[in-house]
Amino acid sequence: MSDTAQLASDAGSRDPAVGLRAVRALRMLVDRLEALQVENAREQGWSWQEIAYCLEVSKQAVHKKYAGGRGLLRREK
Amino acid sequence: MFERFTQDARQAVKLAQENARRLNHHFVGSEHILLGLLDRPESVSARLLIRHGLDHERAYRAVFGMIPPHAGDRIDADALEAIGIDLSAIRERVEAAFGPGALDRPPQRTNRGRLVSGRHIAFTAPAKKALELSLREALALKHRHISDGHILLGVLRAGPGPAHRVLSGADVDLETLRRELVAELG
Repeated sequence: MSDTAQLASDAGSRDPAVGLRAVRALRMLVDRLEALQVENAREQGWSWQEIAYCLEVSKQAVHKKYAGGRGLLRREK
Repeated sequence: MFERFTQDARQAVKLAQENARRLNHHFVGSEHILLGLLDRPESVSARLLIRHGLDHERAYRAVFGMIPPHAGDRIDADALEAIGIDLSAIRERVEAAFGPGALDRPPQRTNRGRLVSGRHIAFTAPAKKALELSLREALALKHRHISDGHILLGVLRAGPGPAHRVLSGADVDLETLRRELVAELG
């Protein structure tokens, strides 16, 4: 851990403002990473089913989120 | 259409995206196309624009003033560092795989309802129109290829919009510029 991070965690490990900010930042990061990875998987020919399996979510959930929810099952592989 | 683009024209389009990225904008508009053209000062279009008093720096400032960057897009690196996550290390690896700026923008909903990663920056309708008009300008001049000069003609032809505002903000006379471009393109 860098000095700054050490300082921050010493000073504010129980400070909700610090903790919640970190959660929010992490969520933004995860959203962006997931979109990149799902897109990459689709480009490489993965089915929604395979993507859903890796993310441990339902096929419907991942399809609805990324394909816009229209044509569910119809466009499914 | 893009297969007719010269190397200069392709570079301009690429730099338009690059400029939108630098400004942290979520779209590529005609104003970014203008920035893309100006980003290579030795190109035909840039040389003419610079002669009219508009260089990249001035145009960039104008676009920046018109549309401020999306501040809320920045991931809070300090907050992540506080829990032991080094955002710059993550960014470095993600960009190595998915290209520069891959983490800079949130995922976007396309108008067809798909959710796409922030790696893509879509062209606005006026920007697409300007590029389409560059083809028409080339055809009208009986040119086989679309160069950066034709793209600027397309931007001029596309009519009022952000790019025109940048041009008129720098007191560029559009009719004169147009004539000079046509003469230059031969």
